[in-house]
Amino acid sequence: MAEVTLSDLTKEYGDLTAVDALDLSVDDGELLCLLGPSGCGKSTTLRMLGGLETPTGGDVHIGGTEATDLPPYERETSMVFQSWALFPHKSVLENVAFGLKMDGVDGDERRERAREMLDVVEMGEFADHDPEDLSGGQKQRVALARSLAIEPDVLLLDEPLSNLDKRLREQMQLELRNIHDEVETTFVHVTHDQNEAFTLADSIAIMNDGEIEQVGEPREVYDDPTSLFVEEFLGDTNLVAAEAAATDGGVRASTEFDTEIALPVSEDAVSAGDALTVSFRPEDLDVERVDENAGAADDASALTGTVTDVLYRGSSVRFYVEIAGESVFFERSVGNADFDTDDRVRVSWNTDDLLVFAGGDRVGGGTP
Amino acid sequence: MSDENAALAWLGERIKARDSTSVFLLAPLAAFELAFFVVPFLILVRMSLNEGTSSGSYAPGWTLGAYGDVLGSDIYRQVVVFSFELGVVATVIAVLLALFYAYAAYRADGVRKSILLFSVILPLLTTLVVKTYAWLPLLAPNGVLNDVLLALGMGHRIQFAPGLVGTVVGQVYIVFPYAVLSIYSVLTTMDWDVVEAARDLGASRPRSFFEVVVPEALPGIAVATVVSFAWSVGAYAAPSQLGTGEQTTFAMEIGNLMLTQFDYPVGAAFSLLMLAAMLAVSLAVIRLLTGSIGGVESV
Repeated sequence: MAEVTLSDLTKEYGDLTAVDALDLSVDDGELLCLLGPSGCGKSTTLRMLGGLETPTGGDVHIGGTEATDLPPYERETSMVFQSWALFPHKSVLENVAFGLKMDGVDGDERRERAREMLDVVEMGEFADHDPEDLSGGQKQRVALARSLAIEPDVLLLDEPLSNLDKRLREQMQLELRNIHDEVETTFVHVTHDQNEAFTLADSIAIMNDGEIEQVGEPREVYDDPTSLFVEEFLGDTNLVAAEAAATDGGVRASTEFDTEIALPVSEDAVSAGDALTVSFRPEDLDVERVDENAGAADDASALTGTVTDVLYRGSSVRFYVEIAGESVFFERSVGNADFDTDDRVRVSWNTDDLLVFAGGDRVGGGTP
Repeated sequence: MSDENAALAWLGERIKARDSTSVFLLAPLAAFELAFFVVPFLILVRMSLNEGTSSGSYAPGWTLGAYGDVLGSDIYRQVVVFSFELGVVATVIAVLLALFYAYAAYRADGVRKSILLFSVILPLLTTLVVKTYAWLPLLAPNGVLNDVLLALGMGHRIQFAPGLVGTVVGQVYIVFPYAVLSIYSVLTTMDWDVVEAARDLGASRPRSFFEVVVPEALPGIAVATVVSFAWSVGAYAAPSQLGTGEQTTFAMEIGNLMLTQFDYPVGAAFSLLMLAAMLAVSLAVIRLLTGSIGGVESV
């Protein structure tokens, strides 16, 4: 168990900066998810934490001691690889006992401890199997047991679930959570899957382009995204370009919907003419069918449009509505999906639920 | 494209069915083996059963006398012992060097990888005799190596070649590329993550090499060992060009019997006995090396 602090951490490959002056701290016993699109530098960050890459700048502290230049075999971290990287010429038990063997633990004890660890991941009966005979999920469990067997201060997980099918992945997410609660070790888990991060994490650090965009508890990050990137990355939403208009008596903006809408932005945060992006989250939209011949009863927080597409997505249905040439979507559960193509609908929202971004940063809306 | 696939599928079916078509496909290979291996081999067997004559050549007959001559000779026994000693020494050196060289080539990337691999293939493009002879000016008493050693303060010149050192160096040099390529081809299938995992779990660099890289490379090491050993026991070019009379291998002795003394029956018997011995040793080496992959090592 140990806290981890990365300060000003940088990794450059020639002209390419993979990780750019990154600061991050992880509390003792916390499960932190590093979330970001592929190529954002999250795996490189994790590998620098494990000593598998050498930073070109900044430093790494693990449990209060400097570890920046320690080789991997001298630091108290252990990595679960995306490919699992089990030793093909050793049995499952030998794999799990490997770290203890390197630590000089004697034969009987390390076999016993490896067996215990295999029981924790419910792989006890496979101790004498060859890793190559195991399924993906089983390999994943063995890799986890192998890393946990050396009781690392920090467990590093590099997208270990990404090679599993959806159902198994979801099951393993819950099991990982339970194992984390059981061993009380600090976990740093890298993933590109928002759902996985939300399911697992005590806190989420969202990375983009070598930098941390935002760190916080899952709920907090979702409700209160500080940047347009986070808002876009965390979930599907309707992003609409807007231009700030009159700023007396509340900010309004002209949008591609033709109608000016009211924005939850304080008057000193923007000035007239600023280019803005407004996020209309599908779950915040109220939709009702209106009479086909009714004139557009649009106002600053309601617009009328026509349903153009209906997409069945398993348990939910997604409806696309065209409003003044712009497409907006919302979702309903299957049992509640009572709209059809060509229906006229009125889409309204609570102004405070809109999230407004200027130049990538949030300037208003959402929970204050 | 689909025609081609269909043709291949048809071919596969034929071969699996083991009908006359598959025999037809094997025919060219079978004919080649028959003409250039089986027939000469049988001629050799027949020749070994003839009687030797004091005037050279042979007298037709059916006798095991030639085998008795080979097995009863102290000189031949010494020649065989030296051949096997040279085989073991050259193989151990070549395979060890090749293991590290192949690992370096596996780890290198870009231009460095190309240079390492190219410099191992380049000598194969030169005639064996020429490149073996090239060691002579380097290792001779008045050669380059001695000049360097003298300049470094060594008291007197040493005759590395012609002699044992020259023979071993030459033989290692001959088999080294084949050993490197055998091991390298197996290493390329290794996932680097596995080595990182070993280091991550506390194995130092040398330890991770022996715990993870060597077991992965073992099939390649087995091939490299058998190739190097078979070739080195039967060495001809290196000992005859870089050795003295003391470095006589059985291949040189058989050459001498056949081409100088014209004692065909004894030469043939000697060849067949060595063939049997080499076959036995090679099989034992393969069994030894591949058997240890199965997990006899302790947890």
